[in-house]
Amino acid sequence: MNAHTRRLLLGIAADLVRSLAVAAGIVVFSFFVLRMIPGDVVDIRGIEGSLTYSQQTAMRAELGLDKPWITQFGEWLTMIASGDLGTSARFAKPIADLLAAVIPTTLTLGLSALLIGTLLGVLLPTLAMLWPRRLLVALVEATTIWSITVPTFSIGILCVLVLAVWLGLIPAIGNLVVPILILALDTAGTLAKILYEDMKDIERTEYVRAARAKGLSRARIVLRHILPNALTAAVALIGLLLAGAFTGAITMEVVFGLPGLGTLTLQAIKGRDYAVVQAVIIWLGFAVIIANLVTDVIRKIIDPRLRSA
Amino acid sequence: MTLATATGRSRRIALPGLGPLTAAAFAIVAVALLVALAAPLLATHDPYAFTADLNQPPGEGHLLGTDDQGQDVYSRLLYGTGLSLAFGAGAALLALAIGALAALLALAAGRPAEWALFGFVDLIRALPGILFALACVVAFEPGIATVVIALGISFSPHFALITRATYLHQMAQPYTAAARVLGAGRLRIALVHVLPNIAGALITQFAIVLPRCIVSESVLSFLGLGVSPETPTWGRMIASATPYLEEAPHAVLAPILALSLVTFALAIVGNAVRRRSELPLSRDLP
Repeated sequence: MNAHTRRLLLGIAADLVRSLAVAAGIVVFSFFVLRMIPGDVVDIRGIEGSLTYSQQTAMRAELGLDKPWITQFGEWLTMIASGDLGTSARFAKPIADLLAAVIPTTLTLGLSALLIGTLLGVLLPTLAMLWPRRLLVALVEATTIWSITVPTFSIGILCVLVLAVWLGLIPAIGNLVVPILILALDTAGTLAKILYEDMKDIERTEYVRAARAKGLSRARIVLRHILPNALTAAVALIGLLLAGAFTGAITMEVVFGLPGLGTLTLQAIKGRDYAVVQAVIIWLGFAVIIANLVTDVIRKIIDPRLRSA
Repeated sequence: MTLATATGRSRRIALPGLGPLTAAAFAIVAVALLVALAAPLLATHDPYAFTADLNQPPGEGHLLGTDDQGQDVYSRLLYGTGLSLAFGAGAALLALAIGALAALLALAAGRPAEWALFGFVDLIRALPGILFALACVVAFEPGIATVVIALGISFSPHFALITRATYLHQMAQPYTAAARVLGAGRLRIALVHVLPNIAGALITQFAIVLPRCIVSESVLSFLGLGVSPETPTWGRMIASATPYLEEAPHAVLAPILALSLVTFALAIVGNAVRRRSELPLSRDLP
């Protein structure tokens, strides 16, 4: 094994250890923070329905909510470790079933938005680099400012108002295309900004000047020398974009009345259904951690400069 | 760290023809601040008073109509300006204080502390932003303080990361070496020598984070997890008027336009601040 491979493997091992530590942190966080909530699911059911005091006590005993926190944590850990997500006390269904019912919607929403957004987010700054015209540069800047400042939920409401209520073009509830486009534009802006600034930075480096001095065409310099380098840095954003797409998906599901992970989480939070919220936080957190880990490893493999860290 | 390199290394896009836009943005922010301060003078109605005129269109008596509770939209919008700005600024300031101080203390304390803190930063960043705020809001009594604290914590990584990036840069400067030779401790160097020198970077980051905090507050309110329904922040107004979109679109449009306009202006101002602050920064770099 040569020194380069060893350094690469050491770097990957360090990433792995950090990811595991963060994953453990999320598991602990999701349990304890949600236990600080005043009131439990039985209280809420008691307020809503007509559970008698003895029924409430019996329900607490059945759910194990009367035991000390640390015992509950231990039992919960064993359960999670065996892959059982538990049962939702509010919906009286296994959490795995609840998640299975809503995840396709959120995945469709989030992944389509991520895909379209990434394409746009790479295409726009690349075009602006190839033909640095006012219009193209302004377009990059416009998507950037749009994604930072315009809250996706307010654009969603505007779209419902104009397209559904006034023009009747889309149904007010259950439309998927419009929220995907709104989220995609948001993702594109975040990516385009960083990619464009990176490409501008790289354009000033010595090796690009050398390429220009060699007489290479602008297209070749941008596509073969600048873009691949900027992309390796942009790969790091995938985890961040994934998290952003989910955050956007929560509000989009509420605005467009879609039965997804976001609507489920909100219902669970309002109903104090800890187990569901925990499952959502843990699995989403894991998804982001895995996305970050994979991108970090890919970057180390394709970019030797990052291996020393 | 990815974010640190992204923000630390990036340069402003030199934009053609943004001069007048930046000027307009400053004007909008100035007007918003004036409105926030003068809301009691400019308002035509009590923003909290209920009337029997529900969902009235804009016109006689009510400049921007009324909402589903018969409250005057115009007056609520004016009071909401101050509230939305104050909550956003409060959250961003808290994020700055937590992020910068925690990062400086951890960096001064050495490797293990740094590792632990930035592990925690990774943890917060691994949770989708709004989910962390959601968890905080439900974990404590809902209310103004909770919203500000939840947003303050979830935005603090922005400041912790920029602090670490600039701290490392400052520690390579001769003046910190000089302070070390004169016998100053690591903590003293971090707080007395480095902090004033990275203040510019922190203020710039504040300008960038502020509009996002305002937007996040409105998202939390929209999801029904923010401030109480009577408090007329813009997000709260949007949330309570959305079910009546068909009957009273004005009650939704007014706060949405106000929110978008002010966050837009703040983002442009933030960009302008960042562009200015980078002149000395880039001259420092080797």
